[in-house]
Amino acid sequence: MMILQLAWRNIWRNPARSLVIILSVAIGLFAAISVLALYDGMLNSRMRTVIDTETGHAQLHHPGFRDDMEPRFVIPDRERLAHMLASDTLVRSHAFRVVTTGMLATAGGSAGVTVYGIDEQAEVSVSRWDRRFDDSIPRLTAERSIAIGKKLSRKLDLDKGDKVVLTLTDREGNMVSAALRIRGIYETSNAPLDEVNVFMKDEALAELLGVPGQRHELVVICRSDDAVPQMTQALKAAMPAMQVESWKELSPETDLMINTVDYYSYIIVIIILIALSFGIVNTMMMSVLERRKEIAMMTALGTGQRRMLSMIVAETVFLSVVGIPLALGCSWFTVDHFHRKGLDLSGMGKEMMRSFGFEDLVYPSFPSDKLPAIILLVFLSALLASLFPSWKSVRIDPARALQK
Amino acid sequence: MKETVIDAHRINKTYNPGTIPVHAVDDVHLHLRRGEFTALVGPSGSGKTTLLNLLGGLDHPDSGNIVINGTDITTLGKRELVKFRLHNIGFVFQNYNLIPVLTARENAEFIMLLQGWPAKQRNERIAQIFREVGLEGLEDRRPSGLSGGQQQRVAVARALASKPQFILADEPTANLDSTSAGNLLDVMYKLNQEENMTFIFSTHDQRVIERAKRVITLVDGRIVSDTAEVSVAAAHKAGE
Repeated sequence: MMILQLAWRNIWRNPARSLVIILSVAIGLFAAISVLALYDGMLNSRMRTVIDTETGHAQLHHPGFRDDMEPRFVIPDRERLAHMLASDTLVRSHAFRVVTTGMLATAGGSAGVTVYGIDEQAEVSVSRWDRRFDDSIPRLTAERSIAIGKKLSRKLDLDKGDKVVLTLTDREGNMVSAALRIRGIYETSNAPLDEVNVFMKDEALAELLGVPGQRHELVVICRSDDAVPQMTQALKAAMPAMQVESWKELSPETDLMINTVDYYSYIIVIIILIALSFGIVNTMMMSVLERRKEIAMMTALGTGQRRMLSMIVAETVFLSVVGIPLALGCSWFTVDHFHRKGLDLSGMGKEMMRSFGFEDLVYPSFPSDKLPAIILLVFLSALLASLFPSWKSVRIDPARALQK
Repeated sequence: MKETVIDAHRINKTYNPGTIPVHAVDDVHLHLRRGEFTALVGPSGSGKTTLLNLLGGLDHPDSGNIVINGTDITTLGKRELVKFRLHNIGFVFQNYNLIPVLTARENAEFIMLLQGWPAKQRNERIAQIFREVGLEGLEDRRPSGLSGGQQQRVAVARALASKPQFILADEPTANLDSTSAGNLLDVMYKLNQEENMTFIFSTHDQRVIERAKRVITLVDGRIVSDTAEVSVAAAHKAGE
């Protein structure tokens, strides 16, 4: 108790110096927590984009379909499946799609595309179809309508109302073409997908492919993210011959990013703490060297190595942890503000953010789950920083130090 | 016959043994008995402080033995020495060396806390020692709020509070004005008389020398005179 009391008073001998260190720890931690909050926000946003606009919570295909997207691999028994999903309490919405690959050509050029045949009304509930456009009027009402991404429109120099020719391979392997008119140009936060995904009315595409009334893809949105494993199990049980995949399997890069970014976050925190540790070591070394005579006196009076080490370690830990509440308070207020208002990163490069599939308006979230680990890391770095000053303090020769 | 507290036998300490050797303590024999009030005197560089450091277990002699209350401290390891000092030796330093962030009372009870005295006994002892050294009412002041003389009295209180075997005081009056020095000497002399506490001073101060019951003079690390020996010789002579 006495040693702890002494350690606490010792750090306030030079309040300005201690405050500088305490503030630098607080600022370093604030920066670390802010980075984690930003990462969490970006990843949450990316995950939501994937689930809400790209893959849904889960998809169902014929097992052979995803290899070459051959039109013949359709989903059987669609009516029964739709009925089952409509009555499933875990499922919020679902939509069927026709999907194929093809070539979109204009007088000025051509591009390989993935063509989705969709029911606009159903698609609103599984991929926020309506939010891709500036207005919410239906676009694919006519049989020969197509909606393309902004990036593709720029690439092929196309605008609304222009005509394009879509060439596909039908169920029999024959090349089929259709002249279509562009009725909508959409934009999402995933620019690479905007360059390759085009949308038509579902039945029009099914007929072009020679599979009228058939669909290749089922997209399901659950009532909550947690329900996905249960729902996919139920779907697999109901359609054992079909391939059911969750969003994590459909977008493994997103899952990998979520799993690995935690490690990167901790690496950033560790780097910040190591940098701070040098400052703490420096301060503690100055403090120990300034008190050489006093430490020598304490040793002379009978203060053992264990007590001396405890005192220096306690001083270092106090210096390190006093800033923690300040850092937590400041970062909580800051993160909470941006969590509500959003942090606009478009100034950093809207195009760049979107080329990686990220929204430019990020909503950081306070990383409460990581706080115990961060606080533990602060303690560990303090212990690490105290090693050298502690070692120096017990190496002081009382006879020499007291003579000076 | 009074009990022997310190028995130093042929102790030597040489600094810079590889280059220009300085024999700080040269073949010193010394016996100190309980209750002695001894002054180590001699010119600067005569080895007074080195001898005190050796007797206090702060430094190791190159050769010789120092037996304190039956324990040869030259055979003790670093940790054992720290423990030995804690329980047997009190130190008073020239520059007071109080801990500035502790109050007078906390400074005085520092060693007792290290020794693990129960709070009740500690409080009683501190109250008694503060009365004896004349620091009543100043218990809660920090060293910066005390005069030099008061600080040195706190240092004496710290050294005495845990009732060590003996007190080593290195030039305790060197930084004090004559009134403060006189008062401090009175306090130490009184404690020597009342508590039979053994004091060993290194000093240049004539007032300390005058109050000492025994004066040992060192020159170039050797004992050149010891009033105890004179007294013993005189006693022998008187006996003949």
